[in-house]
Amino acid sequence: MHISTDPWTWIGVILTLCILSFLYRDNRFYRFAEHLALGLANAWTLAFTFHRVLMPYLIQPVGAAFKSLAADGPSWSLLSPNSNANFLALLPAFIGCLYFMRFVPARAWLVRIPIGIFMGYYTGVSIPAQFDGVVFPQLKGTIVTPASFEGSMTQGIWAVLVLIGVLGTLTYFFFSREHKGPLKWAAKTGIIYIMIGFGASFGFTVMARISLAIGRFYFLLRDWLGIIS
Amino acid sequence: MKLEKLVKLDRRIIFLTMAAAIIFPLVFPFELPMTMQKTTRGLWQVIEGADPTKQGVILSCDYGPQTEAENQPMAVAVIRHCFARRVPVLLASMYVETTPLSNRALEEVAAEFNARATTNADSLIYGRDYVNLGWVPPPIVPMLQMGSSISGVYRVDWDGRDTSTLPLLQRVKNYSDVAIVVSISGGSLPMSYVAIVQPRFGIKVGAGVTAVMAPDFYPYFETGQFSGMLAGMKGAAEYEDAIAEKYGLKETRRAMAGMGAQSAAHLLIMAFVILGNIGYFLTRRKP
Repeated sequence: MHISTDPWTWIGVILTLCILSFLYRDNRFYRFAEHLALGLANAWTLAFTFHRVLMPYLIQPVGAAFKSLAADGPSWSLLSPNSNANFLALLPAFIGCLYFMRFVPARAWLVRIPIGIFMGYYTGVSIPAQFDGVVFPQLKGTIVTPASFEGSMTQGIWAVLVLIGVLGTLTYFFFSREHKGPLKWAAKTGIIYIMIGFGASFGFTVMARISLAIGRFYFLLRDWLGIIS
Repeated sequence: MKLEKLVKLDRRIIFLTMAAAIIFPLVFPFELPMTMQKTTRGLWQVIEGADPTKQGVILSCDYGPQTEAENQPMAVAVIRHCFARRVPVLLASMYVETTPLSNRALEEVAAEFNARATTNADSLIYGRDYVNLGWVPPPIVPMLQMGSSISGVYRVDWDGRDTSTLPLLQRVKNYSDVAIVVSISGGSLPMSYVAIVQPRFGIKVGAGVTAVMAPDFYPYFETGQFSGMLAGMKGAAEYEDAIAEKYGLKETRRAMAGMGAQSAAHLLIMAFVILGNIGYFLTRRKP
């Protein structure tokens, strides 16, 4: 056993114990650690964004562009996005600043401009991506063909089971007609698949939560107490 | 019936028992037989097949401290495998909170290898063999821009150095020089690589995901969209085991160390579920 003398380890230990104290009941130590984590995360994001995003992508190129303008006069290169000194960065910065118009009631409508650009961009990227990357490949993966049995018979049987599961589950969520006759049996098959899915998800969730607990105990026993080598 | 008390058992007793079930195997470790799942093997094979002279591996670390216990051993294992084969590693983080964690993993493994190195060629040198690209928001921008120029979107690295001067980025310029993008994530970000990046650039994508997320990602492995996947701490342990076996690298293996505790905790939970159900049914029988 070799207890750590590193103050950062001790801070980590104290905060870990504060959070774990919630398992007994809600208390001030837990709330302190929770608020501290939130505050630190926000401060970290702000500071990192300033130094690693605003500085290299906005302040430095625009600053360099002003210097270049003062020294050499106007030039087309100051409007080139590939140049280290350019004024173009001011355009997205200006559009981004329009978010703050939310605080000026008379001009609050201006906030729609950055929101519109943001939504338009993401919609344009996401819709084809969902079809190309998710819907079509998954649909293709569900279709059973003679090729599904080429690798091995077991692989083919799994492919058939997946197909039955997909059709059964879709039938279970088909509410436009009463589940009677073949529809009833298809829906029943679907609910069995759904329950197996829930069971697997729960099992994985338990595994994940235990892993997190192991991570904390590993830290306490190894880094702090030095019990584990 | 005493078993009926199980349904009213104080949850703090369960927590204490669980803590004991975790601590005991950590302090007195035992090794369990480990077989590599095909999801883990898929990732292993792609990195084994990478050409170290021409290709790099982009390791996209996209997790926070809350899933560090599961994701960090994955990052360490993948970096260790790449370095064992001298495949350059380009570390990127799509979430800001990951940057110090992933940087620690990179530095830790580089230090391991450099401690054994005897010559400059043996050593792992920042900028030549590995680089930490840092963080550029929002994720969609670097994900797409890396297809044309990595140093174009990451102008400065984690330490604020100009990336265009780094030798590695003059060699590995975009996705066409990359063997695989491995997204180690506590959320659904690997899906963005599959949906947005893969159809456009045809790059191989691997994932390292928490056990909670794993069931959502299995269908994408089955269709071949993910070349490989590390599912939870078990996936990381399998990877650590494979590296130890093939390359004899038996340094800190956090996931392997946790496997005994994981098994003990699972057995305890199964016992609680069975006993809880027995108690429940006995209660129901009473009028």
